[in-house]
Parts: sequence; C-alpha cells; structure tokens
Amino acid sequence: MSLNEGHSTPLRHRPTRTIPALVVGLLMLASGVTLVWLTIWRLANGHWPPGLRGMRNWLAALDWADPGIWMIGAGLVMAGVVLVLCAAIPGGFGALRVAGADGSGADGMPDAAREIVMTRRGVAHLAKAQCLDLDGVGSASTTATAKHVQLHIRTPLHDQGDLGAQAAQRVRSCLESAGLQPVPRVSATVTSTR
Amino acid sequence: MKRSVGTLNRTWLGILGFLVLMTGSIVILQAGGMLQGIMNTPPAGARVATADLHAVFAQSWVQAALLTIGVIVGVLGLLWMIAQIPRPNKVAAYRFHTEESGGRTLCDPAVLARAVEEHINTIPGVVSSAAKLYGTARSPEVSLKATLNDRADIQAVLLGIQSTVLPTLGAALEAPVTSSRIQIDISGKDQFGGTLHPSTGTVLQ
Repeated sequence: MSLNEGHSTPLRHRPTRTIPALVVGLLMLASGVTLVWLTIWRLANGHWPPGLRGMRNWLAALDWADPGIWMIGAGLVMAGVVLVLCAAIPGGFGALRVAGADGSGADGMPDAAREIVMTRRGVAHLAKAQCLDLDGVGSASTTATAKHVQLHIRTPLHDQGDLGAQAAQRVRSCLESAGLQPVPRVSATVTSTR
Repeated sequence: MKRSVGTLNRTWLGILGFLVLMTGSIVILQAGGMLQGIMNTPPAGARVATADLHAVFAQSWVQAALLTIGVIVGVLGLLWMIAQIPRPNKVAAYRFHTEESGGRTLCDPAVLARAVEEHINTIPGVVSSAAKLYGTARSPEVSLKATLNDRADIQAVLLGIQSTVLPTLGAALEAPVTSSRIQIDISGKDQFGGTLHPSTGTVLQ
C-alpha cells in the first residue's frame, strides 16, 4: 500500500537507484541462501562442509595487523562510500518542466494542481528534428539532460561557417516556444563528412 | 503512472552504506592500532579469533543464530528485489450514486480514460495518447501521456487539452478535474500512424 494509492503520481522524478538496489538485494539473497545452506548441511551431517576448513584455519591464525585485514577494511570502506553516494547524489530529473499554454486557466484548476513535463527523449527528438530541417546538415544526433541539450551535427559542407551556432539558436528558439521552463543550455559540435 | 521505489532504495542504500562504511573504518582503525588508545581494544598484533572456532561453531545456539540470520538477510534481499518491480497504481471504480438513491451507479475510470484518449487524438499534432484517471467521481485526477509529432505546435496542443478536453471530462462527471499531469513525448510519426518522408522531384523547364 502506498500513500499515492488511487492518486496520480508526479511525472518528474529523480532516478530510483534500481540497479544498485538490485545488486545489493542480490548479494543479500545470495549471502542468506549460502548461510542457510551451510547451517542445514551442519545440522544434517553433524559437521561443517569440508570446504570451510581452510577458512577456519586462516581465521584462527589471523592477527589484526595482517594485510588481509587491511584489505577487508579498505574494501568495506570503498563499498560503504559507493552505497552512501548512490543514496546521497540526487541525480537529474527524468523529464523537463513545461509551462502551461496561455489561457490554460480555462480548466479552472490552480497552477499547483497542474503538472506538465516533456521527457528527455522527447526533447532530444525535437532538437534533432530541428537540426535536420537546417540546410547544410547531413545527419544529426542529440542528447538531452534536464539542463543541457547537446547537438552532434555532421555536414558535407567544406566551410562549416556558423552552422553550429545556427543550429543551437534554432533549437533554443524551438524549446522556448515549446514552453520548457527553464530552457536547457544548447551546444553544438559540427563534424565535416568530407 | 507507475509508483516508484526511489525513497525506499535511497533510504536502505544510505543505511547499509553507513553501516558498511563504519564497519570498514573500525576494522582499519583496529588494524592500525589506533582504536586501542580510544576503546581499550586488543593490540594490532593480537589474534582476531581469541577462542577455538571449532568449539564456538559447534554450539547449537550458534547454528540456530546463523540459520535465523541467513533467513532474515535472504528474505530481506528477496523482498527488496521484488519491490523493484513496478506495480500499477490501482484506482477504484467511480461511484455516482448517493446515499438517498435506490440503486448503484459505478463507472470504470478506464472507460472514461479511453474517451479522453479519443478526444486528445483529434487534436492536430497528436500521434497517440494514454490516459489514466485517479481520485474519485467528485474529485477526479487525470494523468496523461501525449506523443506529439515533431512538427506539432506543443503549446497549441496543451491549450487544446486544458481548455477543451479536461473541461469536457469535468462536464461529463459534473465535477471539475482537480489535478492534471501531462507528459509529452515527441515522435517522428505523423498523426495517422505513418512516417513523414520528404518528397523529391525534378523541375522541368
């Protein structure tokens, strides 16, 4: 049961950290299954699996200043830092906010109850379409984050001139007219195919 | 339109990360002999295992504890992995009847959502749409995904949705839409499912 059960959920959210959660969940599951299997083996056979004998001897002879202890400590610190960073770094939004159309108050809804977003993929596709409409552009690929749109343009022109600046300006105008708030920074790189 | 587990993941990654970080730091401090001066722990040259490990692990309560820990850790890991599977946010049928009325009038919000999609798809520039209704009949909430053609006037489409589609839904329900969420995606397809191809030709003098 969730607090949002039966209610719409926000469309603009940060990464959910699914991959680190799956990795840690899998490690926990594997550790649990191994521990249960070892204990059941001990209960069924009256002794621990022979494979653990080497580990027991190693542990029995281990002292705190052993290089192995340093390595275990350093490994734990690194794993802990990675996990804490996974939790602490907020990550970028998966979608960009869009301002409502002029006259959108006709639905009688307060602004706080209205959310409009455009997906990053949509922004990238829109930027690419704008680039391909520009004379001199042979092909284009685009990437978009919540704050930055990057255009990669390939042109057959020998003299590229200000093609990159033109494309960036055209995309910026398009994103402004689409109502993106704030309008992401647009930059372009131009490569000649000659 | 799916509920996410972002908060759960961040919380548990943070807790586990902190515990692992603290454990690693303590191990390093102990190995370096720095912990001995603070907490009176064994010196760095001392054995890690002070007791006979064979005797310790032969005790039945140790085996029971290991079994319990294994089950708890394994189940928690499995539950965490299962929680990653997106679950649809279910919504109850809209109930239009009142206490005084003799009968019951229920409406599946999916039926209304389908009508909303059909309406949105008539707006110029919209390639496809998906709608889901939440809330109640007296306080409906709408979540929309509209895929637009890359030549569409996005603000005009939004105006069409906000000034025509949502008020029409509100009029049908006899209750204004209290919340709307619209996600826009862009596609190269045209409104009728095809793909745009630039025409070519030769000018004859």
